[in-house]
Amino acid sequence: MRKVAIVGIGHGKFGVRSDASLRELVFEAVKGCLDDSGLSLREVDSMVTGVAGDEFSFGIQPSAQVHDYIGFHPKPNFRVEAACATGSAALRTGWMTITSGLADIVLVVGVEKMTEVPTSTATEIMGRAGDATWEYPFGTTFPGYYAMIANAHMAEYGTTEEQLARVAVKNHYYGSLNPYAQMQKEITLEKAVTSFTVAYPLKLYDCSLITDGAAAILLASEEKAKSISKKPVWVAGLGCGTDAMRLGDRKSLTSLEATREAAKIAYKMAGVGPSDIDVATVHDCFTIAEVVAYEDLGFCEKGEGGKLIEAKETYVGGRIPVNVDGGLKSKGHPLGATGVSMAIEITKQLRGEADQRQVKNAEIGLTHNVGGSGQVSFIHIFRRQ
Amino acid sequence: MEFKNFSLFISQTKVNRFADDLAGGKIMSTLCKKCGKQYYPPQADCPSCMGSDMEWKEIKTEGKLLTFTKIHVPPEHFAVRQPLMPFSSIQFEPCPIGILEVEKGLPVMGWIPKMDVKRIKVGMKMKASPFTLPDGKITIVLEVV
Repeated sequence: MRKVAIVGIGHGKFGVRSDASLRELVFEAVKGCLDDSGLSLREVDSMVTGVAGDEFSFGIQPSAQVHDYIGFHPKPNFRVEAACATGSAALRTGWMTITSGLADIVLVVGVEKMTEVPTSTATEIMGRAGDATWEYPFGTTFPGYYAMIANAHMAEYGTTEEQLARVAVKNHYYGSLNPYAQMQKEITLEKAVTSFTVAYPLKLYDCSLITDGAAAILLASEEKAKSISKKPVWVAGLGCGTDAMRLGDRKSLTSLEATREAAKIAYKMAGVGPSDIDVATVHDCFTIAEVVAYEDLGFCEKGEGGKLIEAKETYVGGRIPVNVDGGLKSKGHPLGATGVSMAIEITKQLRGEADQRQVKNAEIGLTHNVGGSGQVSFIHIFRRQ
Repeated sequence: MEFKNFSLFISQTKVNRFADDLAGGKIMSTLCKKCGKQYYPPQADCPSCMGSDMEWKEIKTEGKLLTFTKIHVPPEHFAVRQPLMPFSSIQFEPCPIGILEVEKGLPVMGWIPKMDVKRIKVGMKMKASPFTLPDGKITIVLEVV
């Protein structure tokens, strides 16, 4: 199989971007990505665009808006979608395009313009990413699904609201150091535990943000990568797993089977285990999701996730630094862009370009990106060499 | 009875009868005639044996609560609009929801209207019942046995 590396990264500012449209956000990210790689679009063979919601982009072909605006036509481009894991699905598609031999250099773009609609509409659109027939009639929302996971986890393992809040405190701390983050401010534990309830027991600071933003990476085959980049970051393992649509149909309410399956495949392909990972970005759409991810990815034993954050083992300098870019929680979560943004953070870490957030001598990094309430999960493992 | 009276958005399904039975006081599942696998929510097709010859069967209604929540920030469809009268406001008090396991592999989602969310516990014994709302919509409620 051909080896594939990330040879360029471009990250737009995440936040409420009332100054820019979807296609303009993409332009920023693509421009940054080309500058980083030293390539021009003429040298790129193919493109993949990740956008999660039609309702945010007001059309069923957001990918066309994108390739039109950056002037990529007539070369190949289409959209992929996997709810909140759209960006990782796009990266996987880009990887497949190269390994199949269809292209040597592929541009992977992820974008979402969520504030194009009111918050209540965005809440509704995401709520219906659960089972629109059998769950939504009970008023379910995204925080609602993860709140049900939180209540089950608390009942089974004694995880506390304070432990969850500590995830938010960590991610806000690192978000304050990330110039691309939506919320660049630290929060106190007290502020987090006393914020208003969104879906019991999850409070305001347990929830990720509604965000506009775009991110882009360039993938290249081995022979091209070596000539383009001095510091290529290699895709060493990819895993994808799925689970039942409805929470009630899952084998476990305290674990995401999709993640466990994806992790098994990705670790095997990369020939590494959880203890080999130097730095990870995991899907912290809610604080409980990060705690569950620690366990599902094997960073700690099942049920010990709350204790792992309490012991600060997921800070830089800890056993396994997680979401030191601020995570979805504080960097923001523009659905289609998130997976690409995760890969960018790992690339920066493995290149040694993460400034104050740098994990020393990081060699192996992992991204974990979940679609919906765990219906699909993508894991990518990257290596410096 | 239109299926939408239960589902709110989805109107066309092969298991439309579920809504009629719910209105008639019964929570129904489907059972595959070939392999015997039972489905709740009901399915017209059986992925276990790829058959589509199903029969209807009423579910047991008592079981234990798998999990629950109370959603304070509702989606648009359920959101309360503030009144237009100056200086007036509406206090929104949402209703908890939960998932009840009535048999292994048969989870029933429902509203829990009669309980303070802080008193709800995972593992509680509860009973699911059909409920007709004032606007004619039909749903399911969970109550402590």
